[in-house]
Amino acid sequence: MRKTSFALALLTAAVLTACGGTDPRPGDQTTKIKFSQQVTFGDSLSDVGTYAVGGIAAMGGGQYTINGDATSVNPELTGKNYTTLLAAQLGLPAPCAAQTGLLGTASTNPALNFSVPVTFQANCFNYAQGGARVTNPVGPGNRALSAANATTAIGLTTVPVVTQIANHLAKAGGKFSGTELVIVTAGGNDVLEQINELKANATTAGGTALITSLVTQLTPGTTNPATAQTAIATAARTAAAQGGDATAIITAAVTAAARAGNTAALANATTIGTTAGAAATAAAQKYAADHSAELVTALGTAGAELAALVKSQILAKGANYVIVNNLPDVSIAPAVLVESADTQKLVATMVSTFNTQLKTGLGEDAKLLYVDLATVSHDQAINPAPYGLTNTKTPACDLSTAKNPLGSSLVCNKNNLVSGDVSHYMFADGVHPTPFEYALIARYILLQMSGKGWI
Amino acid sequence: MKVSTKVVKLLVAAGALAVAGGAAAQSKGQFTVSVGANQLKPNVESGAISAPALPNSFGDVGKDTQPVAVITYGLTDNISVETAVGTPYKHKIYGAGAIAAGGQLGTVEALPAIALLQYRFFKPDARFRPYVGLGITYAMFQKETGSFRMTALTNPGGTPTTFKIDDKWTVSGQIGAQFNVNEKWFLNASYIKTKLRTDVHFSTNQHQHMKLDPDSFILSVGYKF
Repeated sequence: MRKTSFALALLTAAVLTACGGTDPRPGDQTTKIKFSQQVTFGDSLSDVGTYAVGGIAAMGGGQYTINGDATSVNPELTGKNYTTLLAAQLGLPAPCAAQTGLLGTASTNPALNFSVPVTFQANCFNYAQGGARVTNPVGPGNRALSAANATTAIGLTTVPVVTQIANHLAKAGGKFSGTELVIVTAGGNDVLEQINELKANATTAGGTALITSLVTQLTPGTTNPATAQTAIATAARTAAAQGGDATAIITAAVTAAARAGNTAALANATTIGTTAGAAATAAAQKYAADHSAELVTALGTAGAELAALVKSQILAKGANYVIVNNLPDVSIAPAVLVESADTQKLVATMVSTFNTQLKTGLGEDAKLLYVDLATVSHDQAINPAPYGLTNTKTPACDLSTAKNPLGSSLVCNKNNLVSGDVSHYMFADGVHPTPFEYALIARYILLQMSGKGWI
Repeated sequence: MKVSTKVVKLLVAAGALAVAGGAAAQSKGQFTVSVGANQLKPNVESGAISAPALPNSFGDVGKDTQPVAVITYGLTDNISVETAVGTPYKHKIYGAGAIAAGGQLGTVEALPAIALLQYRFFKPDARFRPYVGLGITYAMFQKETGSFRMTALTNPGGTPTTFKIDDKWTVSGQIGAQFNVNEKWFLNASYIKTKLRTDVHFSTNQHQHMKLDPDSFILSVGYKF
């Protein structure tokens, strides 16, 4: 009898455990703060299709990642930018580009037509543009950077962040409503453009030194040094102007010297070339070293300018929820990894200087969320496994001219990827994230939003 | 620690109350049922959530207290078997480590079923009878519930994330004491330590190993049948 009771008690326990629906469930999926819209300012990292027109669209591109929904190939290949993911999570409409168009060269070949009228989209609030800098209107890809007579120029509009904000304020009646989620990300193009210019100028300095060295070495043995000097220099400059490399320039100078009566020129060509080459390298390095500090200063200025813009043109104009992503560590990007150790170090310093000035300038504000993408991107490069990244050093897109005429993720999609599984690569091209990396960025921003009590 | 202090205080109070009465106790063939509260407090040592995640993405699990009925049957005067029935323990799940900023990410209900074999010291009529027990536990988890933030941190903009915690068979150890107020009524306090390692599986194909090793603190008032 008593044993029966005990058995009954156990049975009761079993029944208690079995009642009701017990399956896993998603739970409450509503956010704490309901934002009215997402307003984004910045560069290619946040661009959702400013240039998705003309030849870019014809090539299946438009965003700086692996374009297009290729989840049928791999679930990670969503083609989505982090701003798109954030909007979806927050229950907001998918962001669209506030301005579209290209100011490049026209072509009857649809894939090469980069002349598409600039159009302002009244109901789109993502102002971010590939190539955009903080205040300088000329960023990478801008028409002003290609030769006036270039047959093909992409002509990115690269409207800087300062103007992007002004454009929004003009559209929104001079102020923010206070219920938008504002996102700001910039600085990358200030780094890239400054580095490009430094490299170009260093190359010029090296070229000048090369020719000077050749003239100095080759003139003494000629029959008429006064005229020979000019002839050698002219020959070398002509070769350089024709796009010749160092060897071509040296050959041209040596030939000119031989013609001017320097009988030893041809025999000593190798020695002379080596000496001149060393002089050129030294001059280029000296130029870079002498001007590195200027670049670091310029980035510090850009960081301070961005901070001032956020404060005076966004926070002071009524925005209550402002996310400022700092500049990711560009020095770990594939495009920079192929540069010299000195350049990599310089880029790292430029990034940290920009971020220090940005953070200092912004200060603390309850309405402001400063997201440290620099630290997390650096960590991803040195510790990729926990993030699920399989490659942080080489691009997922095949950037060869045959496969990718622009050499940019802007026209990368599932049809021009490198072979193998690239779904968990960090970079689509030299500097831009894959959709998988964008998802990691979105999660990181959402984590910080949670810490801020915004979600 | 706080709970242990409470236990001692209660036992002392009970001692003061008990003035007289020949107290019998758990003896051969006797049933007792005591009703009280059980606090289930996991001692979490979380593994990291598997990729893709921030390094050191840990979890934490809160404690919960629920009513409990402890049913004991004396096999001999010193050896008894015990089980407990109660309502599910609702535990909050928090982000920890790198994802501490995530805050509360979900909830889960735990339904531990336990069967203990006990040795009770002293004679059945002793007023104070400490005991030790060893048993098996089936830790069952149900109604694993995600949240906006769990989805935000694992699959932003995508299908809401769900998770499942593996049910486990495991072992428990117990120390306790029964204070017989009179022949029929008694006070009971016990501490049960359960060894529990389980795995959490997320719908995003991520998983996480968790060492929960819960402490259970039971205080109950019982009646001998």
